[in-house]
Amino acid sequence: MADADHFDKLKQSIIDQDEDQVLAAVNAALDDGVEAKAIIDQGLLPGLNVIGEQFECEDIFLPELMQAALAFQAAMVILEPKIKEQGAAGEKKGKIVLGTVKGDLHSIGKNILKLLYETSGFEVWDLGIDVDLFQFVDKAKEVDADIIAMSALLTTTLIGQRDVIEALKDQGQRDNFKVIIGGGATTKEWADTIGADGWAASAYEAVTLSAKLVS
Amino acid sequence: MIDLIEVFDRAETGPLTSETDYYMKRYVPKLAEVIARHKVKWDKETIINTDDTLTDGVFEAAVDLIAEAGAYCPETNRVMQFTRDEIVVASQECPKATTFGERREQKVMRGRRPDTTDDRPWVHVGGGIYTTDEQVFVDTVEKMASFNIVDSVSVPSILHLRGKDSRVRSPQEILSACKTVRLAREGIRRSGRAGLPIINGISAASQPASMFAATYPEFGLRPSDGFLIDFLSEMVVGYEALQKVAFYNSISANIGSTSTPLFGGYAGGAEGVAVTATAYMIMGNLIFRGSYHYNAPLHSKLHLSSTKPLIWAIAMSNAAIGRNMQYPMVNLPYLGGGSGTKQYHYEMACYMLAVVTSGGNVFSGHPAMAVQSDSLIPDDHKFHAEIGLAASNLTRAEAEPLAQKLFPLFGDKLKDPDKGLTFQEVYDMQTKRIVNAEYQKAMDEVREELAGMGLEVPVS
Repeated sequence: MADADHFDKLKQSIIDQDEDQVLAAVNAALDDGVEAKAIIDQGLLPGLNVIGEQFECEDIFLPELMQAALAFQAAMVILEPKIKEQGAAGEKKGKIVLGTVKGDLHSIGKNILKLLYETSGFEVWDLGIDVDLFQFVDKAKEVDADIIAMSALLTTTLIGQRDVIEALKDQGQRDNFKVIIGGGATTKEWADTIGADGWAASAYEAVTLSAKLVS
Repeated sequence: MIDLIEVFDRAETGPLTSETDYYMKRYVPKLAEVIARHKVKWDKETIINTDDTLTDGVFEAAVDLIAEAGAYCPETNRVMQFTRDEIVVASQECPKATTFGERREQKVMRGRRPDTTDDRPWVHVGGGIYTTDEQVFVDTVEKMASFNIVDSVSVPSILHLRGKDSRVRSPQEILSACKTVRLAREGIRRSGRAGLPIINGISAASQPASMFAATYPEFGLRPSDGFLIDFLSEMVVGYEALQKVAFYNSISANIGSTSTPLFGGYAGGAEGVAVTATAYMIMGNLIFRGSYHYNAPLHSKLHLSSTKPLIWAIAMSNAAIGRNMQYPMVNLPYLGGGSGTKQYHYEMACYMLAVVTSGGNVFSGHPAMAVQSDSLIPDDHKFHAEIGLAASNLTRAEAEPLAQKLFPLFGDKLKDPDKGLTFQEVYDMQTKRIVNAEYQKAMDEVREELAGMGLEVPVS
């Protein structure tokens, strides 16, 4: 089978959100000598781009997005060791430290963003919900993150986003990371008030914004 | 019905699972299965469903979903499981009527059936919109409570303490919660209706300690008010919710089981939201021992509830419960347009036509995308309550063509809604009379347009 045919199959298997089909397509491509990095860049990621567009247009929803992401992650378990063997470093768009701020237990918006980041080629450290402000700072320093992304749904938890920026300033780290915020309680005005680098109204916008910030 | 301690024990004894596995191996696949099993399908055009084979299929799907997926307790990482019999008994034994308020203002909210045109629904107004100023807060509550068609109010939030916002879980939040209740009761007293119930107890409290503190008699909330206890989306029953259940059941207070299934989230699209919203109402009695339900499905990206698939799903969940449980329900509409705009009124009219004819009670909504501080404008809520009462004279079949005429008036604006007004921009701050002529004109014109469509909305 020609490489182009393998790429079409890989792409379609991701669009179909079928993990078995994805793994079969990956193994078939490897057996035919297609490089692991090409399988990702020309097969799986184009499929994930389609999934992202379908999600944005409401043709599919979070469960389908998750199925596609899980299929992609299963493929990566096979492909990552091959990439290392072949000495081709996997290229990521950027490193994101993500979480819902202290006191806020809402997770769905943050989980959607995590999936969209991963399917768009970012490397994500998801700190979860109710995240202590120093966890954001420490993890960003530890992994040399490009962006700290914070979500807050409740008006009473917005302050947590401001506190992270304040802690970054106190530690002389503010210029080392871009900080973006989102979530139901946030606004562009709030982002400006606390000195964030950006605000996104939706998860999709957050990914687009992040891509601009790291470019 | 299984007793409450047994319900709490289910959070300690169910199967262990991670949150991701709960969603990907239980909730999501089971939701898809029950939707297919009961042939739940939205045709992408209908706003108000009239096919009751479909309605009852949604109810059966909701029962199956609870039985097969259970609820998830994040503190114990366990699935709370219930048998189908336990679920059916809880649905059969739910309250059909709940008494709110004190003395002359004591009234009964009833569970309604779809297409009931000969009863007056419960009329609830207000919302938890943030206010910046104590005077605006008290004036807003006083004005809403003074409308004679109103049976209960939701009061705004006031989180300022000595000029600063209170942080979640802080001691200041407890003081803000207590202050909110004191000021709300003062506003209601000033309206001359001291016994009128507050049924969003309470918007300024994020933690059980704040709610419990504000329940202390000194501050003015009463068991005959309504206390909201929410499911964390989707199907999550946290310890904080169960702590509130334990306390408010112990003082025999009215509990408003509250849910916000997300369109575009784990629940998926219209069908998943309809089934999940219905499941929450059953679990509201089964797990929370609710006295009424606060149904608030929301779009995950737009943060509003007035898209066509969402209005269909919300109306469907009302009809499913109305036909099979008659659990008293109000629906919290989150609208795109800002306060006082024509878009806001059109959205509300479409939503009211759908939910009130499907068995819901009347609840005025509030702006979501275009929300701003102090934008709870009482006369909007009076107008919307009047629309709800007018809608209660119609059947679903009569309401559907009106909803179809209204939707094009706002559907394309939902992503970029019209901006609205604040309390201070509408009223004279001394007399509290409407002084904004454009505001009054927009409302009058929409009232005329609705009459032209066949929905007469009398001024109360």
